[in-house]
Amino acid sequence: MNFLIIYLLLLKAALSSFSGLAALPIVRNDFVVKRHLLTDHQLNTALVVGRSTPGPKGLYLIAVGYFAGGTPGAIAAWLAIVTPALLVIPLLMFAKKNIENPRVKRALRAVVVASAGVSLSATLPLSADALRNVPLYGIAAISLVLLIATTWDTLWVMLGAALASLSLMLSGFDHLA
Amino acid sequence: MPKPSLLELSGVFFRIGNFTFGGGAPTTAAFQRELVERRRWYDTLQFGLCYALARVTPGTNLFAFCTASGWLLRGWRGAIAGLLVASIPSCALVCLVTLGFDVWSRNRFFQAAIAGALAASVGALLASFWLLVRPYLNRRQWLQTVVIVLASIALSFFAGWSPIVILLLAGAVGFFWTE
Repeated sequence: MNFLIIYLLLLKAALSSFSGLAALPIVRNDFVVKRHLLTDHQLNTALVVGRSTPGPKGLYLIAVGYFAGGTPGAIAAWLAIVTPALLVIPLLMFAKKNIENPRVKRALRAVVVASAGVSLSATLPLSADALRNVPLYGIAAISLVLLIATTWDTLWVMLGAALASLSLMLSGFDHLA
Repeated sequence: MPKPSLLELSGVFFRIGNFTFGGGAPTTAAFQRELVERRRWYDTLQFGLCYALARVTPGTNLFAFCTASGWLLRGWRGAIAGLLVASIPSCALVCLVTLGFDVWSRNRFFQAAIAGALAASVGALLASFWLLVRPYLNRRQWLQTVVIVLASIALSFFAGWSPIVILLLAGAVGFFWTE
């Protein structure tokens, strides 16, 4: 599969979405339905890989690129993912010039607060998926307290949570795997 | 406020951008704790600027956030460094996991560790919500904050509106709602 075509198809998907998995319908239509470059099973695998690895969920596009064109396909996907990020700089230049305007400040604050609300509503389905039993609720609660009440590095909190979960499994709690 | 060197900036973006589980939101929350609360490289308003603009930039919000933060802290070199160090290792990891996915997905130890990390990412998301909203719950702003938070949750979760529409609407409300 042509490097440029994978890049352009994934760039189109990236540019037409503003969060996580929003580009999924476009990716499926282009790669599975129209061009038969992927099967639905591969697309599902890509989604699971995106969820099982650190970083944004949108990285499932790397697995999509990999399935469609091997390592060059994955590189094309990486380029397609990072290209739109550069669009933030002209926005930032414009906003910085107007940041002292009280109305712009208030608009910015409202967007931040609304983002927090939108992220919180996205937490609900994630919680249903991630908190399948009491020990996992406990791990989430302890992490929450540590992240609010201490200045501990988030990385260590996550690593501690992973180790706690592993320890629970090794001590006989089988529902974690 | 102390400005980081390019190496310091790259180190932090590499560590947070590539080792935080649960998606872009917990990762941005980790950046908030690191850059605003722990290192004080920029203040809440500057974080809010990067965060808000990244949310309205198409594509992967986290990479737009890294680009914006890098640009704010170290100009163009910071923007490019932030984008590259936060994206290349995690993308390479995705390739490796895709390659060996059948083996990884059947490994019980891997599954248990991921389950723990994902549970912690729920905690990170909730902590992020609180850390983001808390500065705006003072006596002058609390009403506007509560209304916008509740409306955005309702529009996103119950009405299924797209995040970008909600954020643009919130921006318009903030612009015209005088205190």
